[in-house]
Amino acid sequence: MLSGYTSKKRVNERYRIIGFISSGTYGRVYKAQGRNGETREFAIKKFKPDKEGEVQYTGISQSAIREMALCTELTDPNVIHTVEIILEDKCIFIVFEYAEHDLLQIIHYHTQQSRKAIAAKAIKSILWQLLNGLLYLHRNWVMHRDLKPANIMVTKAGEVKIGDLGLARLFYKPLHSLFTGDKVVVTIWYRAPELLLGSRHYTPAVDLWAVGCIFAELLSLRPIFKGEEAKMDSKKIVPFQRNQMMKIIEVLGMPTKERWPLLTAMQEYAQLQALGSTMRSSGRTRTLKDWWQTTMQNNQYSPGQGNSPGDEGRDLLQGLLEYDPQKRLTAEQALQHPYFTAGGEADKPSKNCFGSVKIEYPHRRVSQEDNDIRTSSVPGTKRSGLPDDSLIGRPAKRLKEG
Amino acid sequence: MASSYWDSTQRRNWTYTKPELADIRKKLEDSERVLVSQYPLPDRRLLSQYFAQQLQKLGKPLSVRQQALATAQIYIRRFYTKVEIRRTNPLLVVATALYLACKMEECPQHIRLLSAEANHNWPDFGPKEPSRIGECEFALIAEMNSQLIIHHPYRSMTELQSSFPLSQEENNLAWNIINDHYLTDLPLLHAPHLIAITAMVLAVVLRPQQSTHQVHAANVANALQALSNPKAAPGANGPGGANIQIRIQKLITWLAESSADIEAIVDCTQELISLYEVWDQYNEKVCREQINRFVKGKGLEK
Ligand SMILES: Nc1ncnc2c1ncn2[C@@H]1O[C@H](COP(=O)(O)OP(=O)(O)O)[C@@H](O)[C@H]1O
Repeated sequence: MLSGYTSKKRVNERYRIIGFISSGTYGRVYKAQGRNGETREFAIKKFKPDKEGEVQYTGISQSAIREMALCTELTDPNVIHTVEIILEDKCIFIVFEYAEHDLLQIIHYHTQQSRKAIAAKAIKSILWQLLNGLLYLHRNWVMHRDLKPANIMVTKAGEVKIGDLGLARLFYKPLHSLFTGDKVVVTIWYRAPELLLGSRHYTPAVDLWAVGCIFAELLSLRPIFKGEEAKMDSKKIVPFQRNQMMKIIEVLGMPTKERWPLLTAMQEYAQLQALGSTMRSSGRTRTLKDWWQTTMQNNQYSPGQGNSPGDEGRDLLQGLLEYDPQKRLTAEQALQHPYFTAGGEADKPSKNCFGSVKIEYPHRRVSQEDNDIRTSSVPGTKRSGLPDDSLIGRPAKRLKEG
Repeated sequence: MASSYWDSTQRRNWTYTKPELADIRKKLEDSERVLVSQYPLPDRRLLSQYFAQQLQKLGKPLSVRQQALATAQIYIRRFYTKVEIRRTNPLLVVATALYLACKMEECPQHIRLLSAEANHNWPDFGPKEPSRIGECEFALIAEMNSQLIIHHPYRSMTELQSSFPLSQEENNLAWNIINDHYLTDLPLLHAPHLIAITAMVLAVVLRPQQSTHQVHAANVANALQALSNPKAAPGANGPGGANIQIRIQKLITWLAESSADIEAIVDCTQELISLYEVWDQYNEKVCREQINRFVKGKGLEK
């Protein structure tokens, strides 16, 4: 270039930073308001160079590139909207529409403050919108890979929007294994059983397992499979996630090769069998029905009072938490499930998950300690050890097109 | 899947009609009149061939996949619809486009490795250090508005073969034709599945009797005739005789059933013909020298 790169757009000319929201995996997220008469609110995610105080350009990490590309490519009412991306002063700013809430916050509110279950109708609307967003992603060959309550945004108007495409991938591209040298990628509580059992192939079905977990969490207000993550040892050998698998079996029972024919071919099958026999001898396996009944009772869902997900809800959950990824419901199938389609007009999912009942959920916390988006020196914690970023242990090999 | 191309930024923002594209380029040149007249450049297709060759040189020792090379070619072409080439150091742009394309196509290369390779290939005119590539990456992404996802005809061709399978040699030829189309403006003019159909049609009609990867203009002209006038007994006077005639009849039926836009295919074919015609004039040295002249003249290599 003649005189180096200078941005044609400047963050501070276009946005007024209201405050700091959160330190994400890769950088920091700020709340902002538009300038020049623009009154909308925005969330601006700032990516910084890997090394603190870096004065030179070092190349943008592959996951940031992926996120930028996907954010600009995707437009759907149920996926968080990307307004623009600004590259300025060695930093990248992704400007999103602002969402006042997310599912994690909402669940917290119900456990900590109101101490009441979320209305069945609201859950239906949330799930409907979430599945519509997911259907859009999958139709466009995008797997999210990190669905969890914190990443599901909810606007003031009750619209549900899938956020954080930081781990999303196009699934027609070659996908390198999640496992090589990798620590924290997908939050373990929402991780599908085929991944826990060593599958190296990601399919969109992993996202539907996560939706199942989220559905259950909205009903019971706590994670359905709250396992403890086994850490990687020093040799970077990926451990079998025994505890997480156990939590799943405690609720769903053991997977069988009759229901899941490829089960015996899974890398961790031997480990699973060992786990299964100890669990059987201590009588700790149940079925989803038991979990469902307990949850309905505890959270006082009752069809009589018109506040219940009904048997259809249970059947849908069963279909999402199906062990065999090939039998698990797809987003499209889930949307056609009687849970959404049966019943009269009044039972149809609403586009506003708050519906007519107005709960005053607390607003997102915004702190004032740092509202200089351009000079802030607080580092973001880096997404640790993504194999494709570090390139460690992956010799360049020729991959023929085919 | 078709729906993802249909909604894509590639279709919405980076596909033009010929007059639109000509207009964009004219405006760009008009804004740099002096520079443009001071430093004449070869035909755009020859320049593209030069870039493709440099990408190959850079990518080969690193075993970069063909698809990443193709993506890099599209990035370069898009970038130069936004920025006058004589304002840039093209070899820096080439190296950066490859660096970025490798990340997008899931075969990332370390910036230092790529920079070292570039330095080795072009000691005088390439990027001097990794940070130059890093900086140019910002420019490339900003000019492309972060729209980096590219839909290629390779995948369309694989999909299309479920309804019209190609023989191995036809497939190879079609593959090469797709590789060649990146030297033209076709990626900015037509949808990838249309390019794939064109490549398949040409591969079937041409029959790769000659092992040369360059397709002769005359043969392509025959193909074109076959397409626009299916009743004129295509291939009858060409090699292959009756067999090829049956094959071409099948192809024509398939085309009719798939309701492909024949006019657009004819247009693609013509672009390819003229590429093959101009190809003979390609001279790497001339391209290099003409580029070096403005790079040096303007001190862009520093
Ligand atoms: N569009 C948005 N509106 C409001 N807050 C947001 C938005 N996007 C992200 N946030 C906040 O920033 C946090 C981190 O964002 P996220 O995209 O999940 O980053 P990371 O991938 O670094 O975790 C979120 O948990 C949320 O609190």
